[in-house]
Amino acid sequence: MIGFDEFKEACFRAAKELGCDEAELYAVSDRSFSVNVLDGEIEKYSVAGNTGVNLRVMFNGKNGYAYTEAFEDAQGLAAHAVDNAKVIENDDVHPMQGACSYPEIEKKPNPIVDLTEEEKINIALNLEVDTKAFDDRVNRLSHCSVVTGVSEVHIHNTRGLRADSEDRYSYAVVSPILRQGEDEHSGFAFKFGPDITDYNSIIKESVDNALMEFNAKTVDSGEYRILLRNDAAAELLQAFCGVFFAERVQKGLSLLAGRLNGRIAGEAVSVVDDPFEADNPRAFDDEGVPSVLTNVIENGILKSYLYNLKSALKDGVSSTSNAGRAGAAAPVGTAPSNFYIVKGEKSYKELITELNSGLIITSLDGLHAGLNTVSGDFSLMARGLLVDCGSIIRSVDQITVAGNFLVLMQGILCVGSDLKFGIPGGGRVGSPSLLIDKLVISGK
Amino acid sequence: MINNSIISAVLYEALKTGGDFSELFLQDTEMNSVSMVNGKVETANYQRKVGAGVRVLKGTSSAYAYCSELGEEALIAAAKAAAAALKGAREFETKAVCAERLGRSGARIPFSEIDNLKRIELLKRGTEAAKAHSSEITQVIASYMDCDHRIWVYNSEGVHAEDRRPRTRFAVQSVAMADGVAQTGSVSPGFGMGFEAYSERIDAEKVGARASEIAVTMLHAPECPSGQMPVVIDGGFGGVILHEACVHGLEATSVGRGNSVFCNKLGQRIASDIVTAVDDGTIPGEWGSMNYDDEGNPAGRNVLIENGVLKSYLVDILGSRLMDHPVTGSGRRQGYDFAPTSRMTNTFFAPGKDDEAEMIASMGEGLFAAKMGGGSVDPLTGEFNFAVSEGYWVKDGKIAYPVRGATLIGKGADVLMKIDRVGKNMWMEPGMCGSVSGSIPTNVGQPRIRVSELTVGGKGGSK
Repeated sequence: MIGFDEFKEACFRAAKELGCDEAELYAVSDRSFSVNVLDGEIEKYSVAGNTGVNLRVMFNGKNGYAYTEAFEDAQGLAAHAVDNAKVIENDDVHPMQGACSYPEIEKKPNPIVDLTEEEKINIALNLEVDTKAFDDRVNRLSHCSVVTGVSEVHIHNTRGLRADSEDRYSYAVVSPILRQGEDEHSGFAFKFGPDITDYNSIIKESVDNALMEFNAKTVDSGEYRILLRNDAAAELLQAFCGVFFAERVQKGLSLLAGRLNGRIAGEAVSVVDDPFEADNPRAFDDEGVPSVLTNVIENGILKSYLYNLKSALKDGVSSTSNAGRAGAAAPVGTAPSNFYIVKGEKSYKELITELNSGLIITSLDGLHAGLNTVSGDFSLMARGLLVDCGSIIRSVDQITVAGNFLVLMQGILCVGSDLKFGIPGGGRVGSPSLLIDKLVISGK
Repeated sequence: MINNSIISAVLYEALKTGGDFSELFLQDTEMNSVSMVNGKVETANYQRKVGAGVRVLKGTSSAYAYCSELGEEALIAAAKAAAAALKGAREFETKAVCAERLGRSGARIPFSEIDNLKRIELLKRGTEAAKAHSSEITQVIASYMDCDHRIWVYNSEGVHAEDRRPRTRFAVQSVAMADGVAQTGSVSPGFGMGFEAYSERIDAEKVGARASEIAVTMLHAPECPSGQMPVVIDGGFGGVILHEACVHGLEATSVGRGNSVFCNKLGQRIASDIVTAVDDGTIPGEWGSMNYDDEGNPAGRNVLIENGVLKSYLVDILGSRLMDHPVTGSGRRQGYDFAPTSRMTNTFFAPGKDDEAEMIASMGEGLFAAKMGGGSVDPLTGEFNFAVSEGYWVKDGKIAYPVRGATLIGKGADVLMKIDRVGKNMWMEPGMCGSVSGSIPTNVGQPRIRVSELTVGGKGGSK
């Protein structure tokens, strides 16, 4: 990162002069390329390179932060950070990680990142052609994108911490619009990782999702036995992920307060936070703490919350390496690494047989608004499939599904083998399909 | 901010591969935020975002490159990177500056004159009022944000625009608990003003007390019954129904590519004839207002629906090429790291003629949604959903008791036709709207309205 070391030294000097005990610089840089194609032409094309640094100081035992994207005026930045530290009234101590060694992480090579722009554009163009050819009801595509990039993180501090990492990423997104008569519906699927040229699975998935929306009708209101499909389950878990954060528990903002070592889910349910997960491994978290695997739920019993250094010190435990920042400009908080429900034995098909009669929920909407992470209550718009005697009868829309996250977790009867991760962002959350005893559906 | 010869060189470089339009966008934004939990300052943060974006258009194709550096070398590199999307030779030249548009900040008390102690004093006042409301309040989170957002736009057609948009927001979230059950209430006013907002528009104590009132009311509310029923939606944030269920479908982002239920409907009836809807970015001091948009065009007041008839879409430069529709001053972006697209500003149902009390008195049995939460929509089908954060059950035309956990779902096109009352007093409330060009401040607003039939979701059994 050009100019990083020089700016770092200037910031640390300025912090010391202002009377800080410690200082830490968190720097991220991202270079990315993305292209979206439409009807065989480039519709959108974007090249990005940006860098930001967040200075964190320890002043009279309190943390203060200041962020900038201009590598100038280290003194001004340090003064902002000190001003912010001075007003903190919360007495919890948030220590900085000192010098340490990190576990060896084996990241999959990603040659896609090194392709020429032309080659990347061709992947997107081919994806569009193949999606249109896949099913003659595909009328057009609303999105057909390929994105690649390299992001770097550097966390250095005056306690000797030197945490440096580089991540090479790529993903493809496809969203076909299908037409039958006057009716149009869109589907969506994405794929992360080095094998995005092998995109047939997402074409099929996106087209199947769109097809499922045709001829959908609502159902009678009432209680239904539910199969929550893997992608919908992962989204719901992601939305409620914050209830596992120790800092939320300590502030009285989590429904899991006081439930450690108690049963909070069906016996079939185990949840882990696994920073070593093969597709997205990392050596350290957002405050430079070496990665550890955490068993969060074991056979339905809550075994651990997710900790950063601050919440861990408060509870007298070790950090679970779950420090996270909501962007480089944000202070250190909590975030999952790869957080997922451990897969079970049964395939999606077998779970449909097991469901016998009820509803498969295939998508949930309104997750940013229709749920309460303090009480666990949710009421969300949903789509799905009506199942009778183990067979899918028809598509269902215009329903809401309502419940409570804890009650849902406790009502999980069976966990599928089809673990799927959602779109990464502040961590990566995954789930297999879940068979649930009942949820309240309102339709007509 | 950057000298004119560099700007000209960037715009010129960007057109060298055959582009017909180039644009340089610069941003320098300073933001301060402070949060308080139960009366103690928890975090204080400062951030400055600085960067540039270069856009090249050729017909309806667009290329964008951005960087967080403002040096000549970095800007020329960005211009080259954007131009690389095209493979042709130069066809267009850049024009000399012919439209200079300089927007004034309008902040009477700039945030640079305010220190953290002033910010904290507001948080303490809001927190104390929230706690004093009821002994059932167990947690109060208060937060404050101020932002001085400055942008510069230059394009190859000779536009040079600058805008400065101060804005500030204050929020209190209260948690009420009893018998292991928790409910929350939150209130978060925001304005496009300097610190004078706190003497002129925002009363910290009222914000805190109202947040607690909602939390305590919902704590003692039974679950909302579900089914289809008449719904009265109160003014202010109730306008989220218009934002989600309709106006997202009027943005060129969806209309321009034929992906909206409102395509090809200009001049047609899309709502009941008592409905008029407006997007107005020109109102001084409002959360979603601006002088010039992020493409350098003057912010617009756009009547979208007039007496039920569709009058206009929201159109940015690229959208105007796709749709053969004039630009409406609606090009917006979160910052330099996003290319602009058509977005809302302050969007509301205009005041109507109906009496606010009568519309409940004559509704029979149904839901009164006093405060709405957020929601989302599929622009292709117009299907929306949103949460009701404070609801009341209406029986025999009278408000009977509060209900919690309600959601409203439906299709935008249906709901617009089913509005049968529009009240007289309109007000707006702020939100953050996320879309392809990032997260931007927008106001939603309306007077109290009634929808003759809507699907209500909830756990309180069938109606």
